Amino acid sequence: MEEHPQETPFGDMEAFHSAFAELYPRLVSYARRYGATFAEDIAQEAFVILMQREARVEHPTAFLYGTVRTLALTERRPMKNQNLSLEVVSEPGLGGGADDQVLNQEVRERMRMLSPTFREALWLFVVEGLAIREIADILGIPEATVKTRIHRAKAQLRDQLNPSGGVHVLV
Amino acid sequence: MSWSDPARRFEPAEDVQLRAELRDLLGLGEPQPRALAPVPAELTQLAEDLRREALRRRRTERHRPSWGLVAAAALPLLAALAGLGGWGIQQKHRADAMAGQVQQRESELASMAATHATELARERKAREDAQQQLELVARALPHKSLPYLVIPVDKPVRLQGEDYQRVKETPRQ
Repeated sequence: MEEHPQETPFGDMEAFHSAFAELYPRLVSYARRYGATFAEDIAQEAFVILMQREARVEHPTAFLYGTVRTLALTERRPMKNQNLSLEVVSEPGLGGGADDQVLNQEVRERMRMLSPTFREALWLFVVEGLAIREIADILGIPEATVKTRIHRAKAQLRDQLNPSGGVHVLV
Repeated sequence: MSWSDPARRFEPAEDVQLRAELRDLLGLGEPQPRALAPVPAELTQLAEDLRREALRRRRTERHRPSWGLVAAAALPLLAALAGLGGWGIQQKHRADAMAGQVQQRESELASMAATHATELARERKAREDAQQQLELVARALPHKSLPYLVIPVDKPVRLQGEDYQRVKETPRQ
């Protein structure tokens, strides 16, 4: 069954334009965080792949983020054999981008102190504003694992704020 | 309501509260409501270009063959396999029949060999019995001297005058 040309995964054309205007810069920034050289191309390719699909996508935002993540990691993969310095490749949640202009230096330092696994889930949940289920789709892990990572990131953040000790409980 | 509003995704209240706590821990504060600014023309044009590219790819995408085409493509192979299978079954029947005949022949030969062996054993037994009977009879007879040749003579053997032959005569004068 062919989809109507004016129908998009986000609804009508106006909703698609609105979603594109809001998501495109975020996806470019997200690709840069994975060290992608052609972050704009990756974000555009993700949109094309999403629109090209004939089957309905339940979570288009999660699909876009997941596609950008995969494409960015795939772009980085051949560079592993080129003695690339780790300083050049920024970790997720640490690289430069438009959102870093939003976050101040203190927030960036706090994010940098987290472990990369927890930082990735925390970034998607807090900064990107994605739901737990969407993050699980993006990272390809169960929702319970996403929640666990976010709660552990929360515990690490509390440890940063209270370095002298104290008891925190994972809730 | 915007497409990205969390209420549209039916996010649980505990997740919303957790996000707010984390924003406080990070020092991000309350999220700023997004201004309903008009979408820039460049982004709209880019979105349209990407949408057209997606439609073009969808039209030119090489679709996977349907099951009907796969079945049609596999029909000659299936026919060949069916023919080969039928020929194989026929050959198997023939081989089974030949094996049955050979087995029957073997059983016949075995029975014939058993019959002949029985007869041979019976004859051998009879000969041994006869030999034993002969020996018993020979032992029962009185002992005799060794047989010798007896030539009966009617008249006594003597030399007579006419019986010899002059082989050498005196020369005549």
